[in-house]
Amino acid sequence: MKALDPALAARLAPVLATVGQHAAESDEKASFPVEGLTAMRNSGLLGLLVPARYGGLDGTVHDLLAVSQLIARQDMSAAMVFAMHGQQVAALVHHASEELRERVLPGVARGDLYLGSVTTEAGKGGHLLSSETGTRREGDLIELDRMAPIVTGGAHADAYLMTVLAPGAGSDGQVSLVYAERDQLDVQVLGGWDPMGMRGTHSVPMRFTGAVPHDQVVGAHGDFRRVTVDVFAPLAHLGWSACWLGTAAGALSRTLRMLRSPDERRRRDLKSELLLTRLSRARQRVDTVQAMLSHAADVYTSLSERERGGAPWQLLVNALKVTASEQCPAAVEELIELVGLRHGYLRNQPLTLERALRDLRSASLNYGNDRLHLANGSLSLLDQETTLV
Amino acid sequence: MDQPFVDTLRPHLRYLAPEQELRPEDRLRDLGLNSMQAIDLVFDLEDNCGVTLPDDQLTDANFETAGALWSAVENARSDSLTDAR
Repeated sequence: MKALDPALAARLAPVLATVGQHAAESDEKASFPVEGLTAMRNSGLLGLLVPARYGGLDGTVHDLLAVSQLIARQDMSAAMVFAMHGQQVAALVHHASEELRERVLPGVARGDLYLGSVTTEAGKGGHLLSSETGTRREGDLIELDRMAPIVTGGAHADAYLMTVLAPGAGSDGQVSLVYAERDQLDVQVLGGWDPMGMRGTHSVPMRFTGAVPHDQVVGAHGDFRRVTVDVFAPLAHLGWSACWLGTAAGALSRTLRMLRSPDERRRRDLKSELLLTRLSRARQRVDTVQAMLSHAADVYTSLSERERGGAPWQLLVNALKVTASEQCPAAVEELIELVGLRHGYLRNQPLTLERALRDLRSASLNYGNDRLHLANGSLSLLDQETTLV
Repeated sequence: MDQPFVDTLRPHLRYLAPEQELRPEDRLRDLGLNSMQAIDLVFDLEDNCGVTLPDDQLTDANFETAGALWSAVENARSDSLTDAR
């Protein structure tokens, strides 16, 4: 990862301090990182991807990934919250109408609007490009009644981007992405969140009912696929991979610091071939993901929207997600074997390896690897030439 | 769009009613074609219409509407005729 621009690093420093301070408690209670989000609001970083003409920091996708990665060294949940907010902002920046951008983006840049993502639906397993939630056009409004089994940070978001069927849709693939502010809808939290890891994401089941103005659609009605291919899917995979990489790299760094401390050096044989081999393997996994993430981010930013719809790029970004979700937890596993039961398996140890492992266990399930392999199998058949990007 | 082409497409479009005519401007994804099925459609076009779409023609844009896909098929046909000469 390239070093962060000094001005961004200065904005990020208090966020990292706050997130680090509350990470254990947020994990223990499965509670949203409220203090971390407040620090993100105050830092201006919620507006990282907002263009300067709307008051934002004019940051790049590379900046988003670097910041997510650094937050994830402290707390993967807080990093996921940040990365997914960035994905919503990018969708608005690139696909909302100018009128909607002018109305929303200055608030995002000021830190007033943390954006939640409402794409899950019971029975479709997170599949982005279909919906069963019908909507009705009523004058200038779209009426909707949307249930979502998992909404990351949903109870704390100020506004949402949600997928619903376009008004008058004739098939389940005519999906619209709609922007809605919390006070425009009746927003209910239907249940709790008590998972194995990434507990701070507080990803609760929710219901949204009411009506939003018809022009609060992002992209054309029924054409969410275009937003998905151009922004939503790539930034999900890039952003999540950056979070997982940050968590694994943070775990490795803390382990190395411990091993090199005077006390540990006296206790352990740092020339042990087993120890060196395990360190090498952990580092190799982390560097593999780093190389792939960095390459995929470079490719993404160099492609036209049309090329992002092609098989070679989609194969690469899907493979990045699968690889990161396998290699990052594997690196932490390696470290746990290396340091043993006390430092590696007990809760609330300074290395926090057990939390990192629990958090990273979610990676293969967060948009399931099984489904991505099926997609990549089909995409491979569409690319007989095996065009590598 | 000739009949073999329309007949090849129809089974992949579950939202196209049996009596409904397929028009060039109809959007294939709105009629039920998804990316997982695209490869099956490519195979059916090869088997039923005798045309192989080159990899660089398997783009989102060419699968956007029935008419766009028909143009891609026509282009692939004329390219293969040119090659044969």
